[in-house]
Parts: sequence; C-alpha cells; structure tokens
Amino acid sequence: MGQFLRRYGTLAGFVLILIFFSVRLPGTFLTAQNWLNITQQLSMLLVVAAGMTIVMVMGDFDLSVGSMASLSGVVVAVLFSFGWPIWAAVPAALLVGLVGGLINGAMVSLVGILPFVATLATLTIFSGAAFVVSGGRTISGRVIPDAFGEFARDGVPLGTFSVPNLTLVALAVLAVTWLLLEQTTFGRRLYAIGGNIEASYLSGVPVRRLKLMAFSLTGLTAAGAGLLYAARVASANPTQGSGLMLNAIAAVFLGTTMSEQGEPRLLATVIGVLILGVLDNGLTQLSVDSYLRQILVGVIIVVAVAGSSLSKTARR
Amino acid sequence: MPLLSLRNVSKAYAGVAALRGVDLDVAAGEIHALMGENGAGKSTLIKILAGVVAPDTAGISIDDKPVTVASPADARRHGLRFIHQELSVVPALSVAENILLGRVYPRRAGLLVDWRALNRLAREALETLGITHIDPRQKMARLSLGDRMLVKISSAFLADAGAPARLYVMDEPTAALTRDESERLFKVLRGIKASGNSVLYVSHRIDEVMTLCDRATVLRDGKPIDSGLLTGITHDDLVALMIGRKVGEAYPPAGTEPSYEVAYEGPGLKLHKGEIVGIAGLSGMGQTEFLRSILGDPGKAWGAGVAYVPKERRAEGLVTTRPIYQNITLPHLQAHSLGGTWLTPRRERQFAQQLGDDVRLRAASPRQLALELSGGNQQKVVFAKALGGSPRLLLLDEPTRGVDVGAKFDIYTIIRDMTAKGMAVLLVSSDLPELLGMADRIAVMRDGEITATVASKGLSEETLLNLCYGRTAAAT
Repeated sequence: MGQFLRRYGTLAGFVLILIFFSVRLPGTFLTAQNWLNITQQLSMLLVVAAGMTIVMVMGDFDLSVGSMASLSGVVVAVLFSFGWPIWAAVPAALLVGLVGGLINGAMVSLVGILPFVATLATLTIFSGAAFVVSGGRTISGRVIPDAFGEFARDGVPLGTFSVPNLTLVALAVLAVTWLLLEQTTFGRRLYAIGGNIEASYLSGVPVRRLKLMAFSLTGLTAAGAGLLYAARVASANPTQGSGLMLNAIAAVFLGTTMSEQGEPRLLATVIGVLILGVLDNGLTQLSVDSYLRQILVGVIIVVAVAGSSLSKTARR
Repeated sequence: MPLLSLRNVSKAYAGVAALRGVDLDVAAGEIHALMGENGAGKSTLIKILAGVVAPDTAGISIDDKPVTVASPADARRHGLRFIHQELSVVPALSVAENILLGRVYPRRAGLLVDWRALNRLAREALETLGITHIDPRQKMARLSLGDRMLVKISSAFLADAGAPARLYVMDEPTAALTRDESERLFKVLRGIKASGNSVLYVSHRIDEVMTLCDRATVLRDGKPIDSGLLTGITHDDLVALMIGRKVGEAYPPAGTEPSYEVAYEGPGLKLHKGEIVGIAGLSGMGQTEFLRSILGDPGKAWGAGVAYVPKERRAEGLVTTRPIYQNITLPHLQAHSLGGTWLTPRRERQFAQQLGDDVRLRAASPRQLALELSGGNQQKVVFAKALGGSPRLLLLDEPTRGVDVGAKFDIYTIIRDMTAKGMAVLLVSSDLPELLGMADRIAVMRDGEITATVASKGLSEETLLNLCYGRTAAAT
C-alpha cells in the first residue's frame, strides 16, 4: 500500500481532481474546447517547467526563470519599437535568455556559488534589467507587430477545433527536452550528476561543462516562455513573468513524488503542471476566490510531497 | 579492582563482525595501550565506550559497578573523557566555544552567556596542558593543525564538578603534535596516572607506546590477542602480535611475469606493463591523494586508458540510484552511444551483462539499481566500470575493503586476469597480506611521499610494517 501510494499517490490525486471537476462542472469542464484552453494557458508554464526539470535533474534549481521571462518579453517589445522585424527580434530575445542562463551556470559551476544564492541574485538582476530596458512601462499597442500577437491567437485546425499555436510550441519544447533528458548522453550524465556528483566527476563526466549547458538551456526556455507570454497579451511589462518560477518549481516537485528515487522526470513534471493548471481552471469556473486558490495549491503541494516522503521514511 | 572492565563486547556491521567478544581491563592509575592494525576494531571499541555506537553485546563496569553507555552524555557522567582520532572542531567558533562544545555554557542571570566565565574555564583547561600561547577568544580557524589538536585535547581536561574524570580515552592524540607538544601531553598523562585515574591510549607509534604505557592489549580481527605488561617485550614482538599469522587468505598466483615495457612513470614510481605495484603505509599518509594526482582530470584520464576504483564505493564509486548498466557505461558513454550523443540502452545492457559476467557479478539484471546490491557486488560493479574501457593503467584504492572473502577472491582473480593481458595496476591497500599476496613490488608512503620501494617476494609482514612505521628494514 505504501509502495503504491508513493508511486501513484499523486497520479491518483490528479484523477480525483479530474473526477471532482467533471461532476461539479458538467458540460463545461470535460470538453475538448476547455482542454485546448487549459493547454494554451499552460503553455508558458510547461516551457519553463521543462527547463526547470533540466537543472533539477542535476539537483540544482533556478530561481531566475520568472524574471528572465519578463526580461525577454520587454527585450523583444523594445526591439520591435526600434523597428526590428520579428525574425531578428525573437532570436535576439532568446539569446538574452541563453546568455542569462550561461551566467547562472558560470556562477554555479565555475565560481561554485550555491544555485539558490546565484539565481536569487540573477532574479533581481534580470528583474531590474527588465525595468531598465522597458523604462518601467508596459510596452503595447502599435509597436508590437500584428503578426506577433496573431501567432498566439491562431492555431492549427483539427477537425472542428483549432489547436492553439502556443500549445504546439509547448509540445515541441517538451518533445525536445524529453529527447535530451531521456535519449541522449547529455541527459544520462545529468541524471548521474544528480545521483552522485562526486562519483560522476571521478567517472569522467564533465560536470562543469554540463552544468553550464544545463543552466543555459533553462535560461533559454525561460526566455522562450517570456516570448509566448508577450505574444499572448501582445504587450510586455517588466513583471509579467514573475509568477512562473514558483509554479515551475512546484510542478517539478509534484512530479518527483511519482518517481521511485525522487528524481525529476519530464513526463512527471508535465503531470505536475497539469495538476496546477486544472486546479486553476476548475476553481476559476467554480468562481472560487483566487486567494483561496493559492492556499489550496500550497496545501496540495505539501500533501503530495509529504505523502511521498512519509511512505519513504516508513520503509527504512 | 579494575577501574574499567569490559566483558564480551561484540559488534557487527551489516553482518561483518568488527568486534568479537572483547574483554579488557584497565586498572586504576595505569596508562593502558590499545593496539592493532587498521580495521582490528580499536575505533569501534572506543566508539562503543563513548556511547556513539551501540554494541550488539557488552558488559561495561566502572569501579566494579555495571553501567550502560547509551549516549555521549552517559559516558561523560561515568567519568569517561575522549579524544577522538578525527579532528572534529568548528572552525567558525572561538577556541573557548570549541572547548566547551556540547556542554552547558556558564550563564549570566540564567539567560545570557557569561563569556568571561566561559573564557576562564577554557583557559584553565588549556593550562592543564601548560598551554599559554593560545588565546581562548581566538577563532579556531586561525590556529595551526597542531594547536587545534591541543585545543581538542584540552577539552578533555575541562573541570566538571558533577562528574569527575576517571578514565581518559585517547585515539592517536599525537598524530598532529610536535615532539615538544607530545612530551607536554605525556607529562599530563603521567600526572593523571599518579592521581589514581587512568588512560586508555591508542597509537600506531610503537616507540611512544613502549615508553609511555604500562600495559597493552592487542586486538586483531576484532578479537583480543594478548594483554599484558609492556616490560620485557620488544618492539618486534609487539608488531608480530598485531599482525599474527593470517590463515585461509588465498591469492591467485601470478600467471605471467611483468614485462620491461614502462606503462607509467611519475615522481618516485615506475610501473611496467603487467605489473602490480602495491602502495603501503599507515592510514592517511597521502595514498589517496597520490592516486588522484596520477588520475588528474578524470575526463581526460578515462579517455587515455586510466581507470580508477575509488576508496568509498558508495560516495565516490557508484550512482546508487541508477541501474547497474548505467553505472558501468558512465565513463564509456562516448564509445557506447551513437555519435557520442544518442543512447543505445539495449546495447549498453549487453555490454554491462558481459562485463558483469566477467567479474562474476551476481545481480538479477543489468537494470537492477546499484543500491539493491550487497557491498561485494557493488564493488564488482565499480570494477566492471573500471574494466569497461580496457584500461592500460588501473588505479585501485582499498579495492577489497568491506568485501566478503568470496568476492575478494573474485576481485583478485580479475586483477590477475587483467595484468596477464598487459594492464599495469597500482594497488593502495592497508591490508598488508593483500599487498604481499598480490603486488610484484611495494612502495611505502609516508607523509605524502614514497620513501621506499621493495620487491614483495620474500618480504615479511613485519619488515613491511616496520617500513611503514619508518624504521629501517630489519635484516631477515
């Protein structure tokens, strides 16, 4: 029973949540349109959580993803206002993410600063930079090219529905991240580092280089999420990504409760994101106060993680 | 009437006996030496006395009254004081705070720490050892290694009105001290003896023990071998008692002679293809650091055909949360993937299965997690990993520590098989019979340097141990 709860407790909880909302929200919750909406709303979080999983596989984490998302959003908007075309501004903003991640990685692996401290510092740095770049204003209106916002509103038709482009982008990022983590030597080595960094180093795993690469990728995904966000609202302000970080970490942690050794796995992270997203969607439809929603989400995280570690402790 | 009397003390770690029915008496007013090779059980015995390790069976009495020592606080209450081998100090705290660590600090108005009283108590403790050059208010981090040791030692002499000290237990207290400092400590110990209290003294320095101690108890393989007066016994007698005669240890014979082709050359050491060179020395003489210096950057080393079996297999050798096959291929992923990028798990498992069979690994499947294996089988996984790249130089650090006899023999056989194919092996071991049984030549390390290299053929354990202790080889 304990074994079962540890592995499948979170999944079972997810199913219960689905059943609860299906019963309470007949005709609106379990519809294809609602689910397409959920995936669209969750696309930014899915992308950030995928990147977060990469560093958390190594046992590290990155607190700066939210402010990086804000920064990349305002960078792309400011570049638009300078008259840059989409094909130049978008890669430039992604490059900002890559470089920001590289800085995080360098501090963690080359200087040896704890990820908590290093990325806490870059959290405020990126956030400050976002204010400086935008002048503290929301950038919107005519400077944002129409095609940028339209991309987020459009989708690919599938039967009578249209699958949102944002959902497709998130799926693509998830697919690439899954391949990286599960099918390449890169991912294998990251998992080895997360399991035992000393043994990995002594086995010839290039720990420093991999940490640099992993943090760079996390920065890149954060910037990507920032672009998705900016496209969805066709504007950019210096705080719009700030909610992503805690939710991404929460999603990865929810995911780790589903693995035997407490390792982050990408598909488990996706379940974690879906739990958070479905709760948000369902509770909003039930018009539950958003502050109560926050409390509930926190309680669910504690229950899931506590349940999994309690059943682990009981085995000892 | 003995001051301390131990009866039938036994302790096993995961089925491996560390102590088997040890009896020990320490009389009042004596300095009693506890001797034995590495792994003979001295440290375990001391930890049991200190209330740090729970014994499987033990009868402990002090002044003929049976007592139980379930915690360090118990030990202190019964008048036992300890200086452990590991120099565990808190560098960020002051000397005085380190001396009073774990004790109730003197208080002012029952609430605030009375720093002046704290420093005074610490100064008094230091003065017992005749130390005046260390300021109790100094940060521990600023002291030299020797001074830190002195601070550690003086904490044992802290006055305690509630529980007067009866027996001081000292584990290698002079390891980091100068001659003068050691002499000062010995004077204090003789003072303790004169006052009717006792000292249980653990040291590898035989000469020191011969001059300081009255009686000695020798442990071997967790059993007391002999206990008696140190008068009328020679240095060599004592060494012979510690080593004893090993029976039932078997080493596979060498199949081939080492070639003259040099496989590795470094400071003070040359290895030939097919040769096993042992590295002997007292523990902590820089053997591990020496192997690491040869390894250099592990990323480059594995690629260049150097393989390494580290000392701590769980902490350094294995990613225990991962399957066996992923551990075995970890240093060789470049060669066992498509273009160094795409994993080929099925082929990896075949490769791991093959290597696992070679080292006689007993596991359900290559997919089994490393943490589910026994110590001996875990070590075989580490070996399989090391052999996976067909290395030309194999660095082994205590490869059979905590490994049962059967797995030991398997490991020796693997080493022999590989040297027959031309691999050179550097074998660090604190197990002297193992070195004599396996190595072609043995290098002796003291203080981080190789002080002697001798052929192992015809070498006696006694001569080797004397070399380790830094005495010139006795003519045999």
